Amino acid sequence: MNDDSALLRLFQLTSPALPVGAYSYSEGLEYLVHQGQLPNAAALQEWLHDELMLGAIRMDAAVMVRAYQAIQAQDWETVLRWNRWLSATREAEELRLQNWQMGRSLLRLLEGLTPDPALPQSFPPSLIETLLKEGCNFAIAYAVIATSWQITGFVTLLGYLHSWAANQISAGIKLIPLGQTAGQQLLLDLNPSVHQAALQIWDLPDDSLESCSWGLTLAAMGHETQYSRLFRS
Amino acid sequence: MNLEVTPKSSWQGQLDLCFGYQNGTTQILSSRAQAPLKLQRPFYPEGNAICHSVILHTAGGIVGGDRLLLNIQLEPHAQALITTPAATKVYRSNQVEAQQSVHIQVAESACLEWLPQEAIIFNQAYYRQDLRVDLVEGASWLGWEITRFGRSARGEQFLAGEWRSHTEVWQGDHPLWIDRQWLPGSAATVQSLHGLADYPVVGTFAWVGQSVPPDFVQQARQAWMGDSAEVGVTRLTKGLVCRYRGHSTTAARKWFTTVWQHIRQDYLNRDRCIPRVW
Repeated sequence: MNDDSALLRLFQLTSPALPVGAYSYSEGLEYLVHQGQLPNAAALQEWLHDELMLGAIRMDAAVMVRAYQAIQAQDWETVLRWNRWLSATREAEELRLQNWQMGRSLLRLLEGLTPDPALPQSFPPSLIETLLKEGCNFAIAYAVIATSWQITGFVTLLGYLHSWAANQISAGIKLIPLGQTAGQQLLLDLNPSVHQAALQIWDLPDDSLESCSWGLTLAAMGHETQYSRLFRS
Repeated sequence: MNLEVTPKSSWQGQLDLCFGYQNGTTQILSSRAQAPLKLQRPFYPEGNAICHSVILHTAGGIVGGDRLLLNIQLEPHAQALITTPAATKVYRSNQVEAQQSVHIQVAESACLEWLPQEAIIFNQAYYRQDLRVDLVEGASWLGWEITRFGRSARGEQFLAGEWRSHTEVWQGDHPLWIDRQWLPGSAATVQSLHGLADYPVVGTFAWVGQSVPPDFVQQARQAWMGDSAEVGVTRLTKGLVCRYRGHSTTAARKWFTTVWQHIRQDYLNRDRCIPRVW
């Protein structure tokens, strides 16, 4: 990315200060910690590594890439199709609602910001309306904002995976609990997994949009019934 | 993986089946079977409205290179239950994938109960199955899939091979449920919390086509009476999914059967009924 201003916008998009409420979700971690299945930093690292290599985030990010490319090609029907597809893969109600809430918040934020005159509007307002009406997944909203901020595709993918990992580690710090330094060490140690996952996801064919997601699905279903919770359902 | 070469011993089986409904009776309007797939004569243990059918795999199991294709169609108002007489075995192969592809179309006010017995995926098996269900508005489908990885009674684990199971339920061009499972066989995935978490059995029960109230989700959760397994229930936008990960295909089936019978009584206006081949 030669464009320094695009790099600055990427920092803004991946910042934990992005007001979409990501910090209020644990994506099953709260249940797993409660069940004693993630007792320490090493177990959390293994969970996050497997999620990147085998799990739902891999499929999610691959669909984000597809939406990004469809927006660039101005193929709005394909964007909507992938959004519906992603919603149908999120069988756990709490994961589906989380994604729609975060997607809605991100699109509303984009609508509320005065566009940079140097960046041409990359999508029609009707696309946003339809996405909001049908329930917009966070991955799709992310692709919308990344294209309109002219952040390049692969860097957008790295940023998406990195902010997901950072958010999961923040949840782990509160839940397990871990020290701040241990959390930062974990994030640093996870970089090779994030990079390897991004390379695989970038080239993933449609027929390989699949995951090994028993753990996440069962944890999210369990969390829906957990008695006392720090994180949203 | 070389998919061009198909071993001589492999099968290209096909079954095309169409159910129609007339004068209070669901009938098989057409049926065409190619070995090793075969359809038993239907039976009607709960009256003429609901046709029970049993699909046989006469070769005793699925081997690498097999291609099984099933097309099942339900015309408006047809009510059918389909099962199998025994567990399906998928044998180890020399990295040659076996494939089963099932396409189900359910018309207006028709309902299919798709309840095959469990599959046993041997270590070093390569298996890919696709189940696509197309519903029109007002149609519903319920089904389960119960899978044992490795012949665990003899200590076998799924340490090599690959299992892919893609299930999709659509209403027109709108996907209602997309479940694309993938388990590459390895010591890591057998142990991983994402994969089998050291359990040999996974199971999924789904009911798709209409929205389900939260009370019913609660009821489905309470129907689980077992222990030493992980289970969960959640709501789709139009439907319900139950998941099981544990040791016992029997425990999974028992729980799913209870939930299924509740659906029968509360939503399908049917009595409890267990297929006689089980």
